[in-house]
Amino acid sequence: MINFIASMGSALIYRLSLMGRALIMLVQAVTVMPSPKSGARLIQQLYVVGVQSLIIILVSALFIGMVLGLQGYTLLAAYGSEQAVGQMVALTLVRELSPVVAGLLFAGRAGSALTAELGLMKATEQLASLEMFGVDPLHRIVAPRFWAGIISLPLLVAIFSLVGVYGGHLVAVEWLGVYSGSYWGNMQQAVDFNGDVMSGMIKALVFAFLITWIALYQGYACVPTSQGISAATTRTVVYASLAILGFDFILTALMFGGA
Amino acid sequence: MALNGIIEIQNLSFSRGSRAIFKDINISIDAGKITVIMGPSGTGKTTLLRLISGQLQPDQGKVMLFGHDIAKLKRKQLNALRSRMGVLFQSGALFTDLSVFDNVAFPLREHLNLSAEQLHDRVLLKLEAVGLRGARDLMPSHLSGGMARRVALARAVALEPEIILYDEPFAGQDPIAMAVLQRLIKDLNDDMQLTSVLVSHDIAEACAIADQVILLGEGKVLAHDSPAALQSSEDPAVRQFMHGEADGVIPFHYSAGPLADELLYSGGEV
Repeated sequence: MINFIASMGSALIYRLSLMGRALIMLVQAVTVMPSPKSGARLIQQLYVVGVQSLIIILVSALFIGMVLGLQGYTLLAAYGSEQAVGQMVALTLVRELSPVVAGLLFAGRAGSALTAELGLMKATEQLASLEMFGVDPLHRIVAPRFWAGIISLPLLVAIFSLVGVYGGHLVAVEWLGVYSGSYWGNMQQAVDFNGDVMSGMIKALVFAFLITWIALYQGYACVPTSQGISAATTRTVVYASLAILGFDFILTALMFGGA
Repeated sequence: MALNGIIEIQNLSFSRGSRAIFKDINISIDAGKITVIMGPSGTGKTTLLRLISGQLQPDQGKVMLFGHDIAKLKRKQLNALRSRMGVLFQSGALFTDLSVFDNVAFPLREHLNLSAEQLHDRVLLKLEAVGLRGARDLMPSHLSGGMARRVALARAVALEPEIILYDEPFAGQDPIAMAVLQRLIKDLNDDMQLTSVLVSHDIAEACAIADQVILLGEGKVLAHDSPAALQSSEDPAVRQFMHGEADGVIPFHYSAGPLADELLYSGGEV
């Protein structure tokens, strides 16, 4: 029994020390003065992390919007209120699905790539050789990738919502014949910019922070072998996905639970 | 002990987890010489290079570089010292997103404020020295292993360092590439008055260019002498390594119980 408690304690201390190390990495990486060169590196990473994730975001958003339109129509038509399908699609997207689904896709697409890239840089001694040239890898490699993640995901989430709403329109209006005016009109009336859109964007920002942080730390701290990198990449996707879903509940409870 | 070496390691101990890698070792490396650190795999040769370059901190003792205790230096001072030292990593460690030219230009861009023209000339001179001026526009993924290592060498000497550390420069190279690297290391050392420290277990190649050999084993310095003296050494451990004997003081078998016991074991579980 004592042993069990002791081992629980040591496991906890170990986890806490890992989190501490991850926090130190992040603080060291982001506490650096921006320079014109670091701006150029940020733009390059925005392209890799953000722009290259666009395709998967656009396609998924279109399909999710279409499914929402279809499901919403069937459900609402039973009560004769299929006119409300626009507001249903929009609210589901901006409050929940856009940040969560885009976050999960981003963790799988960009997060895993970040971990693998950093892990390989470590395995091929590129990080060590940067250090030998007197360049801090945290500033040079980790920081631009971190900020690129923070900037990209909220933008991707916004695009996800737009495309999703359009997908809903495609199915509900173009195909199933809901009156276009009520699709948009109901949506405009029901969706509150501060209450709904902004709370979705806050979620996106929190998820962006979590995903990028997890991905970069896993890559930076991985065991630099092929098994180590593959394990780290898996951990990134698993931890980031769990973090997204867990924090989504907490944030939803905070934002929408009380009222 | 007098401080006469450009690199001085004093009473250094280092362990990874519970495994002691170095136990109270002292090494002094002379300026202007080629010193080869040899020893069986797993004796911590690469670890020693990392300790010298300040990537790892010793548990006890100190590493003196150009007369400075590197553990006591601030980050800026350590970086300044590092710019006087080149490292050739085992894998070459070229930046995969930069071309050959930009790889060699990297340390120059970081540390010196050269005009585009000066930078261009200096990079090409360094590439010429390793015979790869024609490969300047290639990406690292298009280089053979030997070429990558030569580019990495050009990059390591781009800042004209006083010390250069080589981590297993001959490992996995074909005989021609090996001879080329050997010649380059020797020429660079003589032309630039460098201090070269190699970690290697290619005895013949390393001994051919070495002025001094340090033989590591079991966490200690087994021998520190000229290659000729080591070749004719009577010490059994030194003999075994230098002549590549499979069995000897360093046993062929990883420690285990008697084989018969395990083969004849007829217990219930496998």
